[in-house]
Amino acid sequence: MDRETRRTIEEFRHNEAGPLENNVIDELVNGELDRDEFLRRATMFGLGAGTIGALLRMVGEADIAYGAPLETVQAGGTIRLGIPVFGASLEPYLLNEGGSLAFAGIPGEYLTFTDPKARIRPWLATSWRPNANASVWTFQLRRGVRFHNGKEMTSADVVASLKHYVARGSNAGLAPFYDAAGVSARGRYTVVVRLKAPLGAFPYLLSQTTYQAIIQPAAIVAKPGTWVASGMIGTGAFRLRRYVDKRSAELVRHNAYWGGRPPLDGVRITFFQGSAPLVLALRAGQIDLAMQLSPQEAQPFKNNSRYTYYSQPVSAHRQFCMRSDQGPLRDPRVRRAVALTINRPQQIARVMLGQAQVGNDNPFWKQFGSTDKSVKQRRQNLALARNLLSAAGAENLDFNITTWNFLDHSDHAASIQAYARQAGIDVGIEVMDVSKYYDSEPAGADYATTTPWLNRTATLTEYGWRGVPDLYISRCYMSTGDWNASHYKNAEFDRVARSYLESPDVGAQRRATKRMAGLLLRDTPVVTDYFINYVTASSSKVKNYVPEGISHMRLAKVRLA
Amino acid sequence: MTRFLLKRLGLAIITLFLLTVVVFAISTILPGNVGRAVLGPFATQESVDALNEQLGTDESVFVQYVDWAGDLLQGDLGTSLTKQAPTWDLLAPALENSFKLAFVAFLICVPLSILGGVVAGLRYGRFTDKSITITGISLAAMPEFVTGIVLILVFGIWLGWLPVTAQAEEGASALTQTKYLLLPAMTLTLVLFGYIARVTRAGVIEALDSDYTRTAYLKGLPSGVVVRRHVLRNALPPTIAVVAVQVGYLVGGLVAVEVLFNYQGIGLLVYEAARQKDLPLLTAGVLVIGVVYLVVTLIADILYAALNPRIRLGGAE
Repeated sequence: MDRETRRTIEEFRHNEAGPLENNVIDELVNGELDRDEFLRRATMFGLGAGTIGALLRMVGEADIAYGAPLETVQAGGTIRLGIPVFGASLEPYLLNEGGSLAFAGIPGEYLTFTDPKARIRPWLATSWRPNANASVWTFQLRRGVRFHNGKEMTSADVVASLKHYVARGSNAGLAPFYDAAGVSARGRYTVVVRLKAPLGAFPYLLSQTTYQAIIQPAAIVAKPGTWVASGMIGTGAFRLRRYVDKRSAELVRHNAYWGGRPPLDGVRITFFQGSAPLVLALRAGQIDLAMQLSPQEAQPFKNNSRYTYYSQPVSAHRQFCMRSDQGPLRDPRVRRAVALTINRPQQIARVMLGQAQVGNDNPFWKQFGSTDKSVKQRRQNLALARNLLSAAGAENLDFNITTWNFLDHSDHAASIQAYARQAGIDVGIEVMDVSKYYDSEPAGADYATTTPWLNRTATLTEYGWRGVPDLYISRCYMSTGDWNASHYKNAEFDRVARSYLESPDVGAQRRATKRMAGLLLRDTPVVTDYFINYVTASSSKVKNYVPEGISHMRLAKVRLA
Repeated sequence: MTRFLLKRLGLAIITLFLLTVVVFAISTILPGNVGRAVLGPFATQESVDALNEQLGTDESVFVQYVDWAGDLLQGDLGTSLTKQAPTWDLLAPALENSFKLAFVAFLICVPLSILGGVVAGLRYGRFTDKSITITGISLAAMPEFVTGIVLILVFGIWLGWLPVTAQAEEGASALTQTKYLLLPAMTLTLVLFGYIARVTRAGVIEALDSDYTRTAYLKGLPSGVVVRRHVLRNALPPTIAVVAVQVGYLVGGLVAVEVLFNYQGIGLLVYEAARQKDLPLLTAGVLVIGVVYLVVTLIADILYAALNPRIRLGGAE
């Protein structure tokens, strides 16, 4: 290590680093973090590029690669997007569908950015720092960011937006982590968020994976429900010119965009009523890029020189939840037996045409830094499944899987049904409309105790891409979770989960996820048999497009050949 | 004539009233919840309840109907619950779209079907007749989305001649809009051809077999004149009645075609309103479609009378 590198690191350790940053450095030096994981955690705790480079050099790794200059691009042109029509609101705090968040996410932007490898990146915030126990986070805002109305984004706008997203009625799901009183400005470009409890991964929660958390001008936030009527004013690379409800939208280049002049002149969006017309429109050349397709829908675009096929592995997954508190699946041996019937690689080949990654009945995606990769993978074992059923006295097991008509759900349920039959389990399938699956039953009844997706014997539900598993753990598996469809209650799991959520230390997190994974394999409240790949396609003339895992279509660098 | 029109108007008002009552009554068994539809599956129940209370959807269907009907009597079709906009503002552009598609489909379908029916009738029992009849029945038996996909594959994707979505850009010329509407109009033509052609064919065969046609031939009139003056004039009235009913379908019943061609017509709007349990929009939409049906049927009756002097509107009593 040269003298300059050593001096940089020591200065940082002494003058800037708190316990969390020093812990990351120690973990790197001790070999607990590989390069990717170090980059992920260093950026999460807001270490500067110079410090990160010096630390990498210190352990004999290559310095971080700075973005190579883009090739000379031919600017101009209007890209035509195909996005599924949405039923619910476009107001940021109410976003809840792929189509609406994809559209709102073009003019709108977020404080931070989770990249496809689940690394957190600066976006409207350039850096962030936690206090000693990660309960207070200080964000430095990017200077010179202009909203589409020409006004500069300041801490007042960010504070107003962050408060708005924890207000009553918001779908953002941030209220468990902080309240409005905990958000304050410190000067024109600094925002401080005081959390209700320590949370090492907090910057992830303000990225686009919390797709509601768009930063809006304070004046618009002051009147909730007026963002669309005000012209969807955000800081994104394109600003809204015209929107015809559920039909089309037109956006033009935001010339004052902080990220440099976008190559495209504009964006034209057509909203489609179903995936079939969207696929046909792409095939006929009427649109250039589709938001998301199922592997089956995207198949004609694969290995076809006229199109580009995208398949991005992400942490989005399906949860096959089994009621652990009542009914025929109450006994954990029965639930384990059901899980053991599934031939996961074969299922991925059949249901997802290979565009998914094998899951191990927990939400710990292999690429999460906190995932312990030594946990043994569950495989199909029909003999063991039959023995477990026999031991539990459930040889004649039958139950229904309830789901809704979304992408692969029906095929997935049918696949589980076929595998279960091999062990003598009789599985029925009930496919609902989305409005019924996610509504109380009957309408107007108490939601938490009647809605099918949280109360049926077995359910199959989709979960979107996240950069960290915190949300899955806290809301789907902990006994206090409001999306705990399996009604799983395990005091030890809760305790380990809490220690995971509060720990900023990757070693401790990995130990926690290993223990949680073990408990989940033993109790099997949820079968997570695969994590999906985010699949879509475009015309081959679309260049520089990188799909994300959650329907957003980042177009600032996209150009048309 | 005036008496006939007044009678039809009275009947129309009763029919439309009953239609709105039935729609509201049936809506009670529809799944879904407006608050949930607006706020989404992951909104808290507290937020959903608050929104339902604000929108008045927690009231009984009877109360909601009385509110809606009260507004209607003052010329207000109500406000959409899910979109928070006057229903007419949503229905008007969708209705305009539906009329455009119906018009283009009508222009292609009706002359072609009548021509097919007349030719089949005149060639009764021959190869031409059998070809037209079997083709028509086969096409009518095929679901419209299947016909539509085949046309899209052939003309939109393989040949690349026509756009596969029906919605032209805002401000497009009439010619461009027509081009965009050609594929769905062709789909509807193929679906309706068999039905209209068969009715026309039956009328032509019946007219050809009648005494007045035989007399006309015996008088020595040329075939063309007989067909034009005697056969068609007597064969077409039933076809007009059938076409009138199809116009109602073309305006309000094209959900599958509108989805396939991504076209924002009134059928799709009403379907979405039903899915989201948006009662004011659903009822107003059904009411508008009902009015279209009644007006078209009335026009057909008047045309029917004009073509057939033996019919005297309102004169039977």
